Amino acid sequence: MREQDRRREERERSRPEQAPNNKANRTVLIRTLVLMALFGVIVFLPLLRQLWSIQITHHEEYQQKAINQQTMDSAVAPDRGKIVSADGEILAMSATVYNVILSPHDFKTLQESWDKKFLDDNGQPKTSRKDYYPRPEADQIAQGLSTILNIDAAKTEERIGKTSSYYEVLSQRVERETADKVNQFILDNHLSNSVYCMPTSKRYYPKGSLAAQVIGWVNPNVDNTGAYGMEALYEEQLAGKTGRVVTAKDGKNRELKYSFQDYYDATDGNDVNITINTTIQYYCERILEKGIETFEVQDGGFVIAMDPKTGAIKAWANSPDYDLNQPWTVSDPVLSEYLTTVENDPAAAEDAYDTALKQMLNRQWRNKAMNDSYEPGSTFKTVVLAAALEEGVVSESDHFYCPGYYQVGEYTIECSQKAPGHKDQDLAKAVANSCNPAFMMIGQRLGAEKFYQYVKDFGFLEKTGVDMQGEGKSIFWSRSQFIAPSTQQNSYLATASFGQRFQVTPIQLITAASAVINGGHLMQPYVMESITDPEGNVVEKTEPTEVRQVISEETSERCRKILEGVVDGGTGKRAYVPGYRIGGKTGSSETVKEETDDPIINKGKDYTIVSFLGFAPADDPQIVVLLAYNAPKPAVPGSNVTSQDYYISGGNMAASMAGELLENILDYMGVERQYTEEEKAAIDMTVPNLVGQSAQVGVEAAQNAGFTVRTVGEGDKVTAQIPVGGAMIPNGSQIVLYLDAEKPDEPVKVPSLRGKSLEQAREALAKLDLYLKVGGSDRYLSSGATVATQSVSAGTMVEPGTVIDCTFSDNSMVRT
Amino acid sequence: MAKLKRDLTMEEQLSRGPVDLPFLMLVVILTVIGAVTVFSASYPTALYEERSATYYFVRQAVFAGVGLGVMYLASKVNYQVYRALSVVVLGVAILLLVAVLIPGIHTDRADGVRRWIKLPIAGTFQPSEAAKLGVILYFSARMSKRNSEKHKPFNRRSFLGRALSWLDKVGILEMVPYLAILLVIIVLMKFEPHMSGTILILIPAAAILFAGGIPLWMVGVGGVGAAGLLVLMMTGYQADRIDIWRDPWAHPRDGGWQIIQSLYAIASGGLFGVGFGQSRQKQLFLPEAENDFIFSVWCEEMGLVGAIVVLALFALLIIRGYWIALHARDRFGSLVVVGIITLMAAQVFLNISVVTNLLPTTGVSLPFFSYGGTALVIELAEMGIVLGVSRQVRAAK
Repeated sequence: MREQDRRREERERSRPEQAPNNKANRTVLIRTLVLMALFGVIVFLPLLRQLWSIQITHHEEYQQKAINQQTMDSAVAPDRGKIVSADGEILAMSATVYNVILSPHDFKTLQESWDKKFLDDNGQPKTSRKDYYPRPEADQIAQGLSTILNIDAAKTEERIGKTSSYYEVLSQRVERETADKVNQFILDNHLSNSVYCMPTSKRYYPKGSLAAQVIGWVNPNVDNTGAYGMEALYEEQLAGKTGRVVTAKDGKNRELKYSFQDYYDATDGNDVNITINTTIQYYCERILEKGIETFEVQDGGFVIAMDPKTGAIKAWANSPDYDLNQPWTVSDPVLSEYLTTVENDPAAAEDAYDTALKQMLNRQWRNKAMNDSYEPGSTFKTVVLAAALEEGVVSESDHFYCPGYYQVGEYTIECSQKAPGHKDQDLAKAVANSCNPAFMMIGQRLGAEKFYQYVKDFGFLEKTGVDMQGEGKSIFWSRSQFIAPSTQQNSYLATASFGQRFQVTPIQLITAASAVINGGHLMQPYVMESITDPEGNVVEKTEPTEVRQVISEETSERCRKILEGVVDGGTGKRAYVPGYRIGGKTGSSETVKEETDDPIINKGKDYTIVSFLGFAPADDPQIVVLLAYNAPKPAVPGSNVTSQDYYISGGNMAASMAGELLENILDYMGVERQYTEEEKAAIDMTVPNLVGQSAQVGVEAAQNAGFTVRTVGEGDKVTAQIPVGGAMIPNGSQIVLYLDAEKPDEPVKVPSLRGKSLEQAREALAKLDLYLKVGGSDRYLSSGATVATQSVSAGTMVEPGTVIDCTFSDNSMVRT
Repeated sequence: MAKLKRDLTMEEQLSRGPVDLPFLMLVVILTVIGAVTVFSASYPTALYEERSATYYFVRQAVFAGVGLGVMYLASKVNYQVYRALSVVVLGVAILLLVAVLIPGIHTDRADGVRRWIKLPIAGTFQPSEAAKLGVILYFSARMSKRNSEKHKPFNRRSFLGRALSWLDKVGILEMVPYLAILLVIIVLMKFEPHMSGTILILIPAAAILFAGGIPLWMVGVGGVGAAGLLVLMMTGYQADRIDIWRDPWAHPRDGGWQIIQSLYAIASGGLFGVGFGQSRQKQLFLPEAENDFIFSVWCEEMGLVGAIVVLALFALLIIRGYWIALHARDRFGSLVVVGIITLMAAQVFLNISVVTNLLPTTGVSLPFFSYGGTALVIELAEMGIVLGVSRQVRAAK
């Protein structure tokens, strides 16, 4: 056995490899199968799971991210709608301009690819290549672009050097011609991709500063959205919808041509048609400017013209104003003078100029006739009058006695006409005199509660709802304050009765005044007439909206009549225009709140707002205007007159401007003049040419034309006449006809007319066969008016028949 | 004058057997799909580099043609010659690994990596490719002799002798040459450096040792060792890669870019893909779209369905490869095939794991797909060796 074991062990030791091979082969077989299972099947499972997760589970999420980076989204700017005036003038329009963009990064890439293409192994340019062109260099490109765009070459070169940047705006909003030049330059210098012109739009305001605060402007720094006025308020309508072009790009930010593109069309903006009439607006701005110059007005002013029947605003002028095409430029003389002062002030802080500029810009941009409130003064009496008549607490036959002051409890409130005052006056006269004591009495008759109710009903306690941005609020006592039975309350009521110690916005006042004269209808004022789409279809239209009826038709008619008396001989007489029946009310508010922090003007005692509220024709008002000038400069502090001798008051200043304005507007609107007999007498007529006519025909013709005739000579034929045909002379003047007689041609000496009354002047001239024409804007000749200036100075030798133009002035003061 | 069949030796007759047709077909299909995909994936890059759109494709196609030729030739070689040749191949490979470190021989790159040897026509060549083949052949040759190795007669009287004798008995001693070779290669490639290449040498080497029958406890120790090494690497200077792998979006500029772009590409494909040639991610978003990340382009263009088709082709190829190993005439052939197939399978797995962010980024190319001439020729040559082995598979009875 042992032997056997030993042998077996030996055999095993020396066993050829065949023997255990079966076991080893099995091992190899099994292990290879294990590997097969592992690498042929198992490892694929996590891969499949992962692929499923990416391609199915996260498909949308990752795909969206991929698309975001694969596409360029370029905006297609829609055309912004126009703003069109009531008379069809384009006030705002858009045109395509271009931003010139530089990509310094791409410029570098451009240079690198040039190097790759045109440099041989030794770094020498292969100039012999057919498509060779010089290497684009930063300095030369900067130079070329700067010349075209009129920008600083050194700075441009510096910007080209910022190679990490992809987007440098070289120039904004250049015109098409310039863009064409840039494009040519890009072509010539092989700069595509690194410099390009991006179309964008620019807003043009063909009328410049006309109605600036109403129209507003588009701010290119805020995405070309409207700032101020209509541009801001109707932004959505005007802007349209931005379109998009989505193009594929590659990883180097280059557009993939012929790849997919998606267009989303831009929708052009709608046009906004506004109620502003450019002619009326122009008249208003001109009269505002004229008044500011004439009366040395320090803090601007405003004029609103409105259709009293509908509330449509026909014109809305503000001063200071600015050119809408350059909203960041201060052009108003008062504002720019202040800026110059700040700029040259050595003591000023470093940012003083910037601060001042900001203040001035804000001042010129805002529409003060709506954003701000002011003390209405006597113009408010129209409303008080209407309320009192409607309530029946006064009538035309009532008399009021004014001793020059009025006692309210312990307060003594003076009238503008100091003692002995206006004395006895009927209602119409009290209104014409703008008598404060009379109105305090009227206010008292109404009582605080009713008074308050009318203030409310006339819309002074709420916004008018005019479609403009930033309408201001009035400052009025609360109801409980106002009606509380105390002395204080009495004084509130008393001062409110003549329009002082509270503030309303100009738009509120003109809206309320319209209700007084239009039959009692409080209308909602509006500027947007309609909105039309680019094809001209009306999208939206404003219908006149009546807020409420405040007073009756009849009361309104009585008011109109009384207010006409203000212009016809009252404080508003300077607004008189022959042939037009104008009604109105003057106003001067002498104290505003003591605001000493205003940079330009101290709003203290010498700050007077002179205003006039006028309407015409008085029997059927078609236009209502409200003018105000803020702070005419007194000759010396505390003085009542300006250096040009104008008494600072609404009646003296605003009314005369309103007369001229209303005349212009009414003429433009085609309202026919209706002269009274008295007016007819004073009206200027054209002298017919009668030379060559028979004596009888000539005399009759002259008389029919309204002249008186004096004949010289005995002949049958008119051989000469004084004045010559076509001359304008007052109605009823005498015409001299020479019948077969020589016309004396000795010149006559013009007499001095200064200080003479109308009659005296006319007589003095008639003696010399000279004629008088009443000139100037101030056409209402009160009995006290005397000649102030004459067109031909005294002592000049003139031919007989010459017409002498005289202006008259009334030295009797108009205080309110 | 061709020899008649009866004049051939037995060996010669065997090596004239038919190649394994399924395996051949799979290789050809994958090579063709790969070349076409290179065309689609590479033309934006080619155009961007101001080359002809077909620049990469033509080169790849030429190499594919050459590679298929080489494969045919390799399949004709009686693989038994590799037993003897393996030492030479390994020796040359190690020499090349040393040579590549010498300035002037390796390509000059900005990042200082020295993996490629400049070649006149082919362009570049990675010595690690030779090392892979060398290791596979040598390990297979050595492992196939394993059972005939006699235990060394150590002097049992000395302590050393007894220790060696014990080591021999438990099988550690026989591992020494393998480990020594691997160590030399690891060290040399560390200098390049070339981690992914090292991994791709280690995996088939381990597969051969495993299939060759080394004790299971060694497999366990090896596995634990490899895992330990991996953890070590993750905590070391490779930690950044791990961070990026976990959340590529947190590193969009410093490393995550590639993988983000790859994920976008794959995801954009969805189920059916955007259509052949329609990939948008290859438009210079996806770096190396024609190389390591070519599969992402394929996935984008052909969708999950296309991806599964290619994975299935690979899986079939791998399974068929192991099938050939199982049916090989001898242990050597079997192990060579195991090595080659495992190498390819590892590449497929690693490449697709990287592009799908299953694993942190390593520079492994996708066999038959990724652009690269010499690599493709070598891959096809290796397939040729497998086919050569398949010729000697005994016909089914």
